[in-house]
Amino acid sequence: MEFLSDSVVLSRMQFALTAIFHMLWPVLTTGMGIYLVIVEGIWLKTKNPDYYLHARFWSKFYVLNFGIGVATGIPMEFQFGTNWAPFSEAVGNFFGSVIGFEASWAFMLEAAFLGIMLFGWERVNPAIHYLSTILVAVGANLSTVWILTANSWMQTPAGGELVDGKFIVHDYFQAILNPFMVNSVLHMFFATLETSLFVIGGISAWYILQQRHAEFFAKSLKIALAAAVAVAPLQIYIGHLSGEQVYHYQPTKLAAMEAQWNSTPAGQPADWSLLAIPNEKAEKNDWEITIPNALGYILEFKQNLSEPVRGLKEWKASDRPHMIGLIYYAFRTMIGIGFFFAGLMLLSTLQWLRGKLAATNISQQRWLMRAWVLAAPLGYIAVESGWIVRCVGRQPWTLYGQIRTVDSASQLPASNVLVSLSSFAVVYTILFITAMYFGSRIIRTGPNLELPIPGTEVTKPAVDTTPGEFVPDERPVEAQQ
Amino acid sequence: METLQYFLPQVWFVILALFLFLYVMLDGFDLGVGILSLTSSDDERRGILMTSLSNIWDANETWLVLMGGGLFGAFPLAYGTILNALYIPILVMVFGFIFRGVAFEFRELSRRKLFWNFAFGAGSFTAALGQGFALGAVLKGIKVDETGHFIGSTWDWFSLPSVLVALTLIQGYVLIGSTYLVWKTTGELQETHYKTAKIAAWTTLIGAVFITVSTPFIYENARARLFQQPLVYIFAVIPILGVWLVWQLLNSLNRKEERAPFVWTILLFVLSFIGLGLVVFPYIIPPQITIYEAAADPSSLVIMIIFIGFLIPVMLFYNLYQYIVFRGKVTGNGYGE
Repeated sequence: MEFLSDSVVLSRMQFALTAIFHMLWPVLTTGMGIYLVIVEGIWLKTKNPDYYLHARFWSKFYVLNFGIGVATGIPMEFQFGTNWAPFSEAVGNFFGSVIGFEASWAFMLEAAFLGIMLFGWERVNPAIHYLSTILVAVGANLSTVWILTANSWMQTPAGGELVDGKFIVHDYFQAILNPFMVNSVLHMFFATLETSLFVIGGISAWYILQQRHAEFFAKSLKIALAAAVAVAPLQIYIGHLSGEQVYHYQPTKLAAMEAQWNSTPAGQPADWSLLAIPNEKAEKNDWEITIPNALGYILEFKQNLSEPVRGLKEWKASDRPHMIGLIYYAFRTMIGIGFFFAGLMLLSTLQWLRGKLAATNISQQRWLMRAWVLAAPLGYIAVESGWIVRCVGRQPWTLYGQIRTVDSASQLPASNVLVSLSSFAVVYTILFITAMYFGSRIIRTGPNLELPIPGTEVTKPAVDTTPGEFVPDERPVEAQQ
Repeated sequence: METLQYFLPQVWFVILALFLFLYVMLDGFDLGVGILSLTSSDDERRGILMTSLSNIWDANETWLVLMGGGLFGAFPLAYGTILNALYIPILVMVFGFIFRGVAFEFRELSRRKLFWNFAFGAGSFTAALGQGFALGAVLKGIKVDETGHFIGSTWDWFSLPSVLVALTLIQGYVLIGSTYLVWKTTGELQETHYKTAKIAAWTTLIGAVFITVSTPFIYENARARLFQQPLVYIFAVIPILGVWLVWQLLNSLNRKEERAPFVWTILLFVLSFIGLGLVVFPYIIPPQITIYEAAADPSSLVIMIIFIGFLIPVMLFYNLYQYIVFRGKVTGNGYGE
């Protein structure tokens, strides 16, 4: 247990833990924000009260996730100072400014209009309300833009140079539009959208399987599916472009992603490793299945590579990422889920075109609906895996090729970090379990179809459907009101 | 170029002071309401207290995130050094925020409200406590080497004066929280908070008197600053004005005015803030590192003025707009949900 006395390792573990946990929540809210814009828009256009009720139902998940997202995002910002002070000082000129841009452009916008979006239905007119919903979605997605800009710059630092250990920016726009920036933002944008669409689709499929409000949820499933038709293939394409960029800009990461120990010179074909057991000590794969010549097709759509693929052995052990197995399998997990999503989308679209997803017969598609339920958590796993590839693969650098992780960490007593790390672990575990509990309760309770529709005097239920399942009050009699 | 290196850090000092002030004022009443909820007699009341904040707590807290981001970009050295030195108070604050933030959502969904009510109150208290200790530590000074890097120890932030600062800040938050509730509520609840406002006004005053009197004795670095011409006159006027404001506040509470107490309290906050700012300025890591030494590159400061500075009026506008949308008294049913 040597690492328990190493504050750098502990700080890394703490950052990884808090980042992995924090990310779970904004992933849903950024994507779902766009979904809410869509359903509210359809409602305003068609005046069909179902879509209003969709907006209200799905925004319950929005607010649950948003609260935890905010609460766990604040520690992320402060950690740069508390645990990574030398890094903050060295890159504050650029990185710090971008963190400030996120707060002012994105976070404040989302926070200020969220109140109106959630509680303002009766207080502002529909146009202002719709504008608030749009601004909340814009704010959330601008967060993605700025955070991914900051992270991309850590991957491909551009626009300036290190002078006496401090990064001095010569050209801000070059730094913002660093080589990774555009693809990274798009890749994450589609990732949040895709994750949300499959969560919404998965929950809808669950209701359909349960024969509860099948008609109502067939609508949300189809909206999610229609959006996925565009998003799922685009994501695979952007993912491919991102991989190509890693190949050009971060050869150590590519070698780790592919568990390539030996270099392949330019002009030669390279095998693609499908599954392997990488062995860091022996600097080889103990076991592997490869597809001959496939790496050239994956990276450049041709058999012979025009650039060399450099193997890990080209670098000293201290200059290449560790945990090759983690990076290798995280990468394969992400890709596998991406293709599963695309396949599920294709299959569902086919059934839709064949008229099998109509409200009357959709519940007969039992296997398809089960696949959607299965897909609901997969987006999260793909996003986390992608970030593991991105950030563990960047090691041993915080600023790729320029500032090492060991030089970035604050000099702290290991005991302090151990206490904070354990506190985060305990608190976040409790939060996770509680959030799952309340999330499943929202699902079990189902949508409230008796909400009055703004602007109408309707008193009877807007839609005639089966009422929600009765959830007995489990409290002692004295506590029941 | 010389003048730029002098001028730009000052601009950013003022912008950050504005963000911090807006934070202290807005999240101040927010945290104050949370702390008061711990003393609330029943569940319905606690529900109303939380409802009065449900649409604004997040925007209020964002001013701190904005302040943090701005400090990180404009004074990277100060960001790293101060946060590094305040590891424990910052962590205490952050955990307070976590419990408080999730309590808003979880309470709504929960059938057993008691636990989340407590998490909300205790989280608010813990967050305020962390901030109080942080403020106390910054006033006392942070031990750094000549390059501005922290060389003190883990528990430097803890001392008798910092305990006093922390307690006074909590009282200040309770005061502004009480006057906010006087404004936003009616009936019995309002009556209760007329009382808590009076108590908090006295305790805050006592704390402030102690801090004002003891500052020149305890903080060596502040002493020189306080007795410097012509600042000494300002420092002589501030406490007098402060006492006058407290007197006005107590009067308005006695007359059962609804909005005036909140306004008087804000003015008290402004005054204390100016006082603290003048003691600290031009240091950003007291007592050694000035804003000029800790500032980012001038080009960064200019870019940040373009990207953040011009958004300040816009941000103020839409924050104000949502207060206008949700104006009026809070009722048990919340804002129509």
